[in-house]
Amino acid sequence: MIAPGTVIRFLRTVFYMMLALVSIAALIGIGMFFVALQDLPRVPDPLSRIIETPPTEIYAATGERIMVIGGREAVPLSKVSTQFIQAMLATEDHRFWEHHGVDKLRTLKAFWVTLFEPGRIEGASTVTQQLSKNLFFSFRRSYMRKFRELLVALQIEAQYSKREILEAYINQIPMGVGAHGIEQASRTFFRKPAIELTLAESALLAGLPKSPTRYNPYLHYDRAKERQRVVLSRMVAVGYITRAQAESASRDALNLRPSPSGARTGSYFLDMVVKSLEERYGPEVIYHGGLKVTTTLDPQLQTWAVESLQEGLARLERMLGVYEQAEYGRFGEVVRPQGALVAVETNSGAIKAMVGGRSYVETEYNRAIQNNRLPGSGFKPFLYYTAFERLGMNPATVFVDRPVTIPVVGAQDWTPSNFGLKHEGPMIVKRALVKSVNSIAAQLVERTGPEEVIRTARRCGIESHLEPVYSLALGTSGVSPLEMASSFATFANGGIRHEPFWIWRVEDALGRVLEEHIISGERTLDASIVYQLVDLMRGVVDEGTGSVIRRLGFDLPAAGKTGTTDGYYDTWFTGFTPTLSTSVWAGYDQGEGLRDTQGMGITGGRGAAPIWANFMIKATQGEPPREFAIPPDIRFETVNAITGRAATESTLNTMRVALREGQSIERDTLDYEIPFHWETGTFDLAP
Amino acid sequence: MRKLCINFGTMDWSEPRDFKEWARRAFSLRPLVLVLLIFVVIILELRFDWLEQALGSYLVTTNKKRPESGAIWEIGHRRITARQTLEQLITDRQSSQREARRANNFTQIASNLPPGQGVMLSSEHFRELYLSLPQAIASKIVSPLELLRLFSNGSWVRTYLENEDYGFKIYLLNSENRVLRELRISSDLLHQIRRVELALEGTLEDMPTFENRIYTADRFFKAIESLPEEDLRSVVPQPERLLGMPGRIVRVGISDEAVSGYIELGFEIDDGTRRRVILVRAREWAVWSLRSLLEEKAHEVDRVSRSQGNET
Repeated sequence: MIAPGTVIRFLRTVFYMMLALVSIAALIGIGMFFVALQDLPRVPDPLSRIIETPPTEIYAATGERIMVIGGREAVPLSKVSTQFIQAMLATEDHRFWEHHGVDKLRTLKAFWVTLFEPGRIEGASTVTQQLSKNLFFSFRRSYMRKFRELLVALQIEAQYSKREILEAYINQIPMGVGAHGIEQASRTFFRKPAIELTLAESALLAGLPKSPTRYNPYLHYDRAKERQRVVLSRMVAVGYITRAQAESASRDALNLRPSPSGARTGSYFLDMVVKSLEERYGPEVIYHGGLKVTTTLDPQLQTWAVESLQEGLARLERMLGVYEQAEYGRFGEVVRPQGALVAVETNSGAIKAMVGGRSYVETEYNRAIQNNRLPGSGFKPFLYYTAFERLGMNPATVFVDRPVTIPVVGAQDWTPSNFGLKHEGPMIVKRALVKSVNSIAAQLVERTGPEEVIRTARRCGIESHLEPVYSLALGTSGVSPLEMASSFATFANGGIRHEPFWIWRVEDALGRVLEEHIISGERTLDASIVYQLVDLMRGVVDEGTGSVIRRLGFDLPAAGKTGTTDGYYDTWFTGFTPTLSTSVWAGYDQGEGLRDTQGMGITGGRGAAPIWANFMIKATQGEPPREFAIPPDIRFETVNAITGRAATESTLNTMRVALREGQSIERDTLDYEIPFHWETGTFDLAP
Repeated sequence: MRKLCINFGTMDWSEPRDFKEWARRAFSLRPLVLVLLIFVVIILELRFDWLEQALGSYLVTTNKKRPESGAIWEIGHRRITARQTLEQLITDRQSSQREARRANNFTQIASNLPPGQGVMLSSEHFRELYLSLPQAIASKIVSPLELLRLFSNGSWVRTYLENEDYGFKIYLLNSENRVLRELRISSDLLHQIRRVELALEGTLEDMPTFENRIYTADRFFKAIESLPEEDLRSVVPQPERLLGMPGRIVRVGISDEAVSGYIELGFEIDDGTRRRVILVRAREWAVWSLRSLLEEKAHEVDRVSRSQGNET
């Protein structure tokens, strides 16, 4: 039997301990209050003042707005659907109109759950507390941070009306996909102002603040719908709507705007624009200053560029057998080929379209500008121009396609081989480029020297590091598709070089001009020699390694050059019409060559050229055929493609060549003495 | 009634001896009232949020003394920095633009334009700047015929001048900002222009073009005073330049040649040790107005002196 005194003493001890605990808690509370008070942030007045930030708007050349960076525009409560406000309050804080910053009952419940139901966390933050957190505090969890947040919430409640608080809240709340505030979210997800939101749409948006990523309707539609149902049931529970209305709204189809990240026009291009703006003005001006930037992008061409590249890569995947591998359940392991496309206006240098990869959502790495890949034979035009200019050659000059070995000082001899490992004997220079004969390119670079070829490439705008070695002529130094497109534009433009550019004009929010682009061309190449080169490159498209373009139906005057590297790691086609120069690259990002299911290598003509053709057919539709401008000193002759002599009616293998003033076939053509074996019908091509 | 009176002085503070006494004490009126009071306070707090309101109101009073810290203030500060940066950029650009629009010659533009920066001028303004140059120097920049051709076909609308290390780069632009013609004024040429605009050693008599049209400074400036305000700048476009010269203007000469709507004025300056002449191009029509005033004054002086002579 316990003595009553013991029990009483025990109860008394418990009472005093509780009293002491309460006192200590009160003292701690008071202490924390004064500690927290020391660096409690100041609350702005009015609240909406600092929420508003002017956006930086990026426009296409056509005037269409293609991107908005930053920028928050506060809308008054009267411009927001009542159903959204009800949905949001029912979900986030249904006692909002009653409390003074903290919902004590909910907080106690949350405390209870946190203490006695391990693994479960229940939020109890009111709208005011959330506003306090979003405006002033980081997302690092700590008791002091939570306490400060609470104090600021109490101040906000004491300082502002409920409507002002609600207005500030709905205008700053993060809703995902880069949207802050209900107006932006409404326009982002449903392409309409917040005042026009329906019950179903309101419920979907009101469910997002809990976890904008987890309930992102673009990525997790079912989860978002589930969350919408939770919001609707909360609205029923609070009494805002009836069950029938909730069920009807739940069944309503959501007319979501196409995914902004997927459909955003020219994402790779926009990345480049933003990066260059950051370099010029600094990130603060871009994200908080509010600029109006007019770019060179043509949204229609951009759409076609994306389509063409994606269709081309899908076709390439079929050739590579990627889908067969996928059927065996190995798709996740399969590395898919990538590609890039850049289109440049020839007479200005304006970039009209740019695609840096198969999907911006999958990878933001911009292969159009960051990827320096070997151009292979795509580099030969620089060599041929150099040869015409430095060696005084003409397109009818004869060279012999034969095995060649070029001694290299201090290194192993260079012995390039032709694509088909065959040699055809004598042929004119035009035929050599049209057929992309490596042995003749090697002989040319041996005569010009690689330094001269580099000089020509630089004059055309190639800025990447180029190794001064003989193999440079066969494209063994990496370049980007943008460099290729813009340097070939110099050929298309008769030797006048335009720096590629992507921003036309930058203005501040008030329309005051900060910069505007001036289209200034510089003659870097001789017009007549360029024309001879263009004539050679037309042969590539009409009857050479790029003739697939004609077979695919592109029939406007065009010139270009294919490129394929050893092992089929890179496939290129860069070509141009008099108005548009486009470069296409396709290949794997790393370590693998492109080989079809039969094991055959995929060349620039098979891999990249069809993408080019597909794009250019769309990009030039409706354009009348326009010839390349012919300089006055150019005349045409038809010659024997083997001997380079004037063709007669009986000549079988003929080619039309462009000759400059002072060039004649008879005088310039070398008379080769090559032993011919009548028994085998072949030339003796031994070096 | 006595029991309701809470008198702590008469409270029994001794330890209760048994449960009965403990319960009697625990459930007596005083503790019950106390507990009730505590409950009432708690319920009222739950209902009316007095504590929150009191804290909130207190915090409002301390608001102005607290720091502008936290995410939204940082964004605000960044926004202010961004606006200031932008304003600075715009102001610089606009001031260069303003200076260039006011400039009457290339050297003025060059002196106001920082290296690497450019200004946009109208084609008319460029033409005026071009015409203000001596013909020999102007033709080194571009031939007047070429300029005339560009001007007459209507495509040349604007001119962009860029200050570079080696001088000026000039782009004559069409409405699409496409360069129609690119010109250069080398630093040597700019130096020549400056020299022309500087003083020439000697007196007005050394220059035959001013013969019979040399006036005392006093007479010249008296005549100028009678000109309307808008004509003054057309006669002396850059008074600052003359003001900046060491010495005193003693005589002014008016050239007898008009070139492209301009007439040259020569200001003879005496600095005590030597005499120099500064050439300034003035608008032809304004010079004619000035000359008629100068001649009137001359007649008046003659008339006055003649009448004075008659009297004596």
